[in-house]
Amino acid sequence: MWKKAYEWLEERLGLKALYDNLLDRPEPKGNWWNTLGSASLFLFVIQGLTGIFLTVYYTPSPDHAYDSIQYIMNGVAFGWLIRGIHHWGASLMIIIVFVHMLRVFVTASFKYPRELTWLIGIGLLLLTLGMGFTGYLLPWHQMAYWATTVGTQIAGSVPFLGEFILKALRGGPDLSALTLQRFFAAHIWMLPAGLAGLIGVHLYLIIKHGESHYPSRDE
Amino acid sequence: MNDETKKQINQRYERELQRGERFWPDSIFKDVIVSLAIFIVLVLLATFIGVENSPKADPSDTAYIPRPEWYFLFLFKFLALYGQIPVLGKIEWLATVLVPAIGIGLLTLLPFIDKSPWRYYTRRMLPLTVMGIIVFDMVLLTLVADIPTVSESGSKLPGILQAVMGLAIPGLALIILYYLAYRRGDDNPVAPMLWTSGLAAVLMVGFAAATFVATPPVAKTEETVANTLIEQISAGQDLYSVHCVECHGDDGKVEKIEGVKGLEGKEISPINSHDVLYTLNDAAIAEIINYGRPDAGMNPFGKAYNPEGLTKSEIDYIVIFMRYNWDDRFEKPVMKPLFPALAGGEVPSYDVHIAPIVKRYCVSCHRAGKDNNNFLMTSYQEILTTGDQADKNLVKGDMNSYLLQVIQGQAILDEKGEELIGVMPPKGHLPADVIDVWIRWIMNGMPQTAEEAAALYVPPTPVPTPTPAP
Repeated sequence: MWKKAYEWLEERLGLKALYDNLLDRPEPKGNWWNTLGSASLFLFVIQGLTGIFLTVYYTPSPDHAYDSIQYIMNGVAFGWLIRGIHHWGASLMIIIVFVHMLRVFVTASFKYPRELTWLIGIGLLLLTLGMGFTGYLLPWHQMAYWATTVGTQIAGSVPFLGEFILKALRGGPDLSALTLQRFFAAHIWMLPAGLAGLIGVHLYLIIKHGESHYPSRDE
Repeated sequence: MNDETKKQINQRYERELQRGERFWPDSIFKDVIVSLAIFIVLVLLATFIGVENSPKADPSDTAYIPRPEWYFLFLFKFLALYGQIPVLGKIEWLATVLVPAIGIGLLTLLPFIDKSPWRYYTRRMLPLTVMGIIVFDMVLLTLVADIPTVSESGSKLPGILQAVMGLAIPGLALIILYYLAYRRGDDNPVAPMLWTSGLAAVLMVGFAAATFVATPPVAKTEETVANTLIEQISAGQDLYSVHCVECHGDDGKVEKIEGVKGLEGKEISPINSHDVLYTLNDAAIAEIINYGRPDAGMNPFGKAYNPEGLTKSEIDYIVIFMRYNWDDRFEKPVMKPLFPALAGGEVPSYDVHIAPIVKRYCVSCHRAGKDNNNFLMTSYQEILTTGDQADKNLVKGDMNSYLLQVIQGQAILDEKGEELIGVMPPKGHLPADVIDVWIRWIMNGMPQTAEEAAALYVPPTPVPTPTPAP
């Protein structure tokens, strides 16, 4: 019975080929430092899942954002846990992505033939920082409001383009409902879409070239 | 890179694969363990540390000191230190745009800058030491982020120490490293470069320690944030008792203001009525408190219009308090008592009992700028030492203390029989248990802390139960 079901699926999905190409790959001897990439991916998934739960109750408007988060923390069953994981997951993700970058740098894994993997990785690092920056404003509390005021001001100090960048980020001269709305849009749609796309390419390149090995004295 | 090198690299990799492991199950196994560990750490952090709360955003509160998320703190500090540099420091965009752009640019283009095929660590001393110094600097800048650049006494020493630590030493080290690498050409001078970066790191730690010694970090201002509904209602009630009671009365019933300078006799709508509570939503009530309705006699209480004003969060708490107390569509949760009930013989303390009572019933008038015979009650010291009758207001162990007389309905009269101090509170009475707390506190020597009060505890003599006559 199970065999039949498996054969039916195998015929249509090609599970065997998937297993051979994705899972049963040879790899150089690795150690625990090699788990940082998959840990980043795991955190991305965790942040995605908890983030989706949070959007069920969160309202991106200055009048309701703060109260909706208070409600998530006090009113919703296990809301505090979901938000807590999302909050700490963000910090942990920044650390792990950064240490992953350092590991690749130290072992010179970015060299031929993995230059593109590195480029995409830098894109992922910057997008992750972007997620941190946009997500920080969403609770609409004092810390968030003033940190974003200063953060966007810094972005606005670019010569010539500064004014434009500032207005584009804030949706006007000051932080307002528009700022919150567009930070929210960036945080839940634009940046995650970019991250997911780049992660796909990053993974494809890793499977294509394999994980790099640790260099020895003659390399 | 020519084809020959590429071929060598690929062959080398093939050999490594031969004596390597399988992705499934060897690598996946480690990945799963790490992911699981991360998940557990996240759940523990969320459960036992939780998320720090902060009051609601208040655009009018420009005195708020901004502080970014911790992973941007190093940039924040870098900008502050850079701003101290004479002349160059005034050109802001050099630090805010150019330096980060160069950093990110170099990092991105790394595979195209470092094109040598060498991978072993001793052959890559320059990139490794440079990156090491920069990352180390980022960590230290994050650690000293909360230390101000100008000390309280106005000395610029901490700023200079930090600039030496965060800018000068790493900058100098980078220059020396580049010099060492280029003087020797391809042959990497491992030892001198390690010595340079090691020495730089030690010096940086030294200066970081010096900044910590010279100026301790500013203690973060404690912000009390009411998290639960009960805390919010109670915070709202305290604020209402201080800011609103004078005109609106403790039950919001007042229709004609009495005894308030400038607003005497003004007719107002009772704020506990259906008229107000059913027709104004939370946002509207909050705006009325914020902007006021000057023509109708309501002063603005928002921070932007009133130096002693309320923040957005505080205004929200007052609105919540009004809803849950007077709006019959809202069911008030079971509130915690204002102070823990006293057992027989127990002595109340200022911290636990008197402070919340004073806040709820007295501070509204007994604070600076009000008509109160100079008797201020916002702290323990003030209660004991201020007031025109300071020596008679609260006398240890004296039932005739003025305070005890007036709260029990005895006005204090002077020799001519004129009223010196009226009955307190001027309208209404204190609940009996509150009066009891005051009496016990003053009669037992007015202890400040709970420990002092506990030391004065006299266990009540047990009342002998009369044995029933046979």
